[in-house]
Amino acid sequence: MKTSATHRLREFRAPDEAGAEQRAWTVVRTAYLEREPAPARRRAHPSLRLATAPVAALILAGLLLSPAGATVRRLIRHALDVRPAAPALTSLPAPGRILLSGPGGSWTVAADGSIRHLGAWQQASWSPRGLFVAVSSGNRLAAVDPRGNVRWAIARPSISDPRWYTPSGYRVAYLSAGTLRVIAGDGTGDHLLATGVAPVAPAWRPGHPYQLAYVTGRGRVVVRDGDTGEQLWSTRPGARPRQLVWSTDGRRLMVLFAHGARTYTAAGRLLTRIAWPLRESVTGAALSPDGASLALVLGHDQVLLVRAGASRELLAGVGVGDVSWSPDGRWLLVAWPAADQWVFLRVTGAPHVTAVSRITQRFSDGGDGPHAFPDLDGWCCTAAGTAG
Amino acid sequence: MSSSVEAVPAAAESLTIGGELRRRRPSRTRSEHALIGGALAGSEADLAALFRRFWPRAYRTAFLIVRDHAAAEDIAQEAFLAAIRRLDRFDRRRRFEPWLAAIVANRAIDWTRARASRRESTAGEIVELASPADPPMGRYSQEVLAAIGALSPEHRAVVVLRYVLEYSPGEIARVLELPRGTVNSRLRRGLDALEAALKELDPR
Repeated sequence: MKTSATHRLREFRAPDEAGAEQRAWTVVRTAYLEREPAPARRRAHPSLRLATAPVAALILAGLLLSPAGATVRRLIRHALDVRPAAPALTSLPAPGRILLSGPGGSWTVAADGSIRHLGAWQQASWSPRGLFVAVSSGNRLAAVDPRGNVRWAIARPSISDPRWYTPSGYRVAYLSAGTLRVIAGDGTGDHLLATGVAPVAPAWRPGHPYQLAYVTGRGRVVVRDGDTGEQLWSTRPGARPRQLVWSTDGRRLMVLFAHGARTYTAAGRLLTRIAWPLRESVTGAALSPDGASLALVLGHDQVLLVRAGASRELLAGVGVGDVSWSPDGRWLLVAWPAADQWVFLRVTGAPHVTAVSRITQRFSDGGDGPHAFPDLDGWCCTAAGTAG
Repeated sequence: MSSSVEAVPAAAESLTIGGELRRRRPSRTRSEHALIGGALAGSEADLAALFRRFWPRAYRTAFLIVRDHAAAEDIAQEAFLAAIRRLDRFDRRRRFEPWLAAIVANRAIDWTRARASRRESTAGEIVELASPADPPMGRYSQEVLAAIGALSPEHRAVVVLRYVLEYSPGEIARVLELPRGTVNSRLRRGLDALEAALKELDPR
């Protein structure tokens, strides 16, 4: 009898062994080819040179319960001496997984540096706990698991900017050929919410099912119920915003423009209006997980950190791209297409900079140059699904 | 609300970055020691041979412990990636597979324990979506998989290392960093439980 059990164990075959082997070989081979000998010496902390020439600066009113009005203070310029970047991504400086998309498709990077290709998608976004990824490409929207297995998919014209409702993930909003649509997290109930919508990513109000902010073609910001379609409030037409950012508690909505920002209460009352006094326009922004800090990218050459009524420059360099916070809020990842690098900046505690080069080579389809550099789609979660 | 849902493809297409893992006649003429040396010297062919030789059992081991093919693939892949990263520090006087198996088995046990606690915390988020059918398994596999589910992850690991990877109890003790007596005890109980479960599933 024991022979039967042991014999069966010896004869056991797992599902899809050949497919799993081929997929794993792709990743293992890539890791092998990117191996580098250990560096001759360890890198010391990069030096922080404190420049004395003050630069006209801006304080953005804190997003959470801040008093109305903006003040302008002097900005002390911190120049970061970024040493030559490491050629291989062997680990992330913080837990979680990074999601990115570009000409080579969508990828995840785990904390131990392992990478996984999700498929030939153009955009992606994490579900709230990182158990799934909403991906889009051309006329397809899908939900995939972190291994790239498709759970559901639909076809709509010109799909972009899928966004999950937080914290449950029960709804996904997306843009489709100038319209705004909503679908349930399990791929059912797809419906039209609005037409004449601008190509600005919609933003769910966290913790308030299912209020959704979006921008119209005429530059109005509108908040609607994503299920009933009821309009809750809207702004007047005007300049088109670049980005919509809700505070983590859902009490404030920040509307970022190229040359300023406005914050509104959840009921639509204007709280603050700020104009950037700098020549550069805002090209990107990311709110920290605790909602207390805001990373701003100005003119593709400056990254500012705004916190507690003060701002400081984190990075200066030509051709800076997206920014993304680590799930623990201690690190800021700056994508730097012009340098073909990712720069990890520690923003709490002792300053520290880690950079990784050859990002395009790692994740592209063979193209090079800044246009082949992948976009950051988020840095997620330490307590979800698979190892982060 | 009307919706148009297209057929879910069997799997997302993968972009093959590099060469495919071509199936060749297994190279048994080169020792494990030689393959590791070749891989360290930059031979992708030797790495491929090493991978082909040890992947199937690493994957089966992970799968029998975690009983989830996606997680098993992740765990086996991560084990190989860990091996790649540490290859230049690997002591070639040791055997490669037990070293790899230690990573696989321990991570698989950790994953299974973590899943048990995650089940309590995922209430409210959709965790079961419409999924493609699991790939088919072999003739004995379904029964074995069901039966081995009756064991705890720790018992599964020793049974799998003994009867799939054919390690001695002493080797298992080193891989899992357990006392030899604990390994023997878990083997006895694990096999008894497995036999009983198989009998229930197939009383013939």
